[in-house]
Amino acid sequence: MKFIRNLLDSVKPQFEKGGKLEKWHPAYDAFETLMFVPDTTTKNGVHVRDAMDMKRTMMTVIFAMIPCLLFGMWNVGHQHYLAFGMETTHLDKFIFGAIKVLPIVVVSYAVGLGVEFIFGVIKGHPISEGYLVTGMLIPLTMPVTIPLWMVALGAVFCTLLGKEIFGGTGFNFMNPALLARAFLFFAFPAFMSGEVWTDLSPEAGKTVVDAYSGATNLAVFDTDYTAIQSVSDLFWGFEQGSIGETSVFMILIGAAFLIISGVGSWRIILSVFLGGYLMGLLMNALAPADNLSHSMHMPALNHLLIGSFAFGAVFMATDPVTAAHTQKGKWIYGLLIGAFTVILRVFNPAYPEGMMLSILLFNVFAPLIDHMVVEQHIKKRLKHA
Amino acid sequence: MEHLLSLFIKSIFVENAVFAFFLGMCSFLAVSKKIKTAFGLGLAVVFVMLLTTPLNYVILKYMLGEGALAWIHPSLADVDLTFLSFILFISTIAGAVQLVEMVVEKFAPSLYSALGIFLPLITVNCSILGASLFMQEREYNFAETAVFSLGTGIGFFLAIVLLAAIRERLQYSKVPPALQGLGIAMIVTGLMAIAFLSFSGIKL
Repeated sequence: MKFIRNLLDSVKPQFEKGGKLEKWHPAYDAFETLMFVPDTTTKNGVHVRDAMDMKRTMMTVIFAMIPCLLFGMWNVGHQHYLAFGMETTHLDKFIFGAIKVLPIVVVSYAVGLGVEFIFGVIKGHPISEGYLVTGMLIPLTMPVTIPLWMVALGAVFCTLLGKEIFGGTGFNFMNPALLARAFLFFAFPAFMSGEVWTDLSPEAGKTVVDAYSGATNLAVFDTDYTAIQSVSDLFWGFEQGSIGETSVFMILIGAAFLIISGVGSWRIILSVFLGGYLMGLLMNALAPADNLSHSMHMPALNHLLIGSFAFGAVFMATDPVTAAHTQKGKWIYGLLIGAFTVILRVFNPAYPEGMMLSILLFNVFAPLIDHMVVEQHIKKRLKHA
Repeated sequence: MEHLLSLFIKSIFVENAVFAFFLGMCSFLAVSKKIKTAFGLGLAVVFVMLLTTPLNYVILKYMLGEGALAWIHPSLADVDLTFLSFILFISTIAGAVQLVEMVVEKFAPSLYSALGIFLPLITVNCSILGASLFMQEREYNFAETAVFSLGTGIGFFLAIVLLAAIRERLQYSKVPPALQGLGIAMIVTGLMAIAFLSFSGIKL
């Protein structure tokens, strides 16, 4: 550590104002703050400070996502060997998955941070840590078969149009990772839906087993809800889907971590689940009695387990920048996301996964929800005055 | 009844005038800086839409459409004045806007001055003429026309209020100088349209 400190100190004057490499100060700053706690203090005014700066917040979210990532790697291998009907050890499965997943993570980080870096240097603002979370969310929401250049394209699109154009981390109004996914979903539907969820790269001397079906539970439940996998499979995550979304158990570990550390809003997480559950019950009540396999009959609990419902609720909807900011607004925001997801799943056959679009839509509504909550509060206070 | 309800929902969300057809962009972008004025303009658009589209329906049905004049005299049955629909539709709209302008000036002078030129410009708001033309093209009956015009109006109202709320929040962001104002509003509109794509496959 001492060596790095010395090295940084020796080149520091070059990057200071008036130095030769003054333009590259954001780059230097990014490295220094990544390695060490910055020694600068605020010069004017009093600020309430604690150890919870943005870097810590972002790292907490990344730690919360690691269980999902590790399980996702194992599941990629599991689904692959399952499709070929091969018996392998857990380690083999994990290694296969890691080889497939890690390049996606690396590309997402390299490209996104690259864009952020260029912007930081051009505009002279410090490179912020916001992309650390986005860069991890993008791979977790992709199918494992996605071409790497598409990941790069999505990362560029979301960093540029989703965030930097509004001034960087903290100023965007839509979740950048979801924006990347939505952009790729609408631009290249063939790579983002259908039978893309299992990696079928050939195994020597093996063919895909007859029982293999590329359809996810989301696609299955639309025609016959009774044909989806068992609740325990759905809960533990032995199903096909985006890399990180399958295991509700791992997501709940992440959720517990986020709630205990105070980084994620429990109001939003709880209300998204509640909204989805209540809408599921309502669907059951309204379901046509003559068609017992109709998707409206699906038990409300299953809605919370399939697809990316849990993942979206815990990691996407809670994004403190794009969610509603007021306490009451968070409840409304979460309930609407959950309810609308179930509506989309049941009534919109074109897009089996409603979670992504539902969160994006209520990102758009969040400022209005906040406005109305504040206005209503003012009105109430005026009455008492 | 169910059919009308689905038409209503469809015209608000699925076929939102702003996000699905990009109609009425000029006032949508220009008057969405503050929620209050956006709210006022949105209401004015809903009102004008609800007034003019059914009125245009009656005009189309009894004056312009093929054989519409037969109620005057049977010999007029083969007269087709549909080519006049554009000019007559827009004059109805202009008349209705005039009415709204007088009402707003009398009862909400502050809103009147806040809206400025954009109040009379509702006349050339494409979403209003668009609603009348869709009504003609899709051959709605009277009940459908009324529901459709209300839905389209509410859709526009929703869109402009949403954009205004986002733009009020964007006041705190550091948008590059070259993009401030209309530039960023255009980009925001595009991103909002992506979110509204979620409705595009819904079958009602």
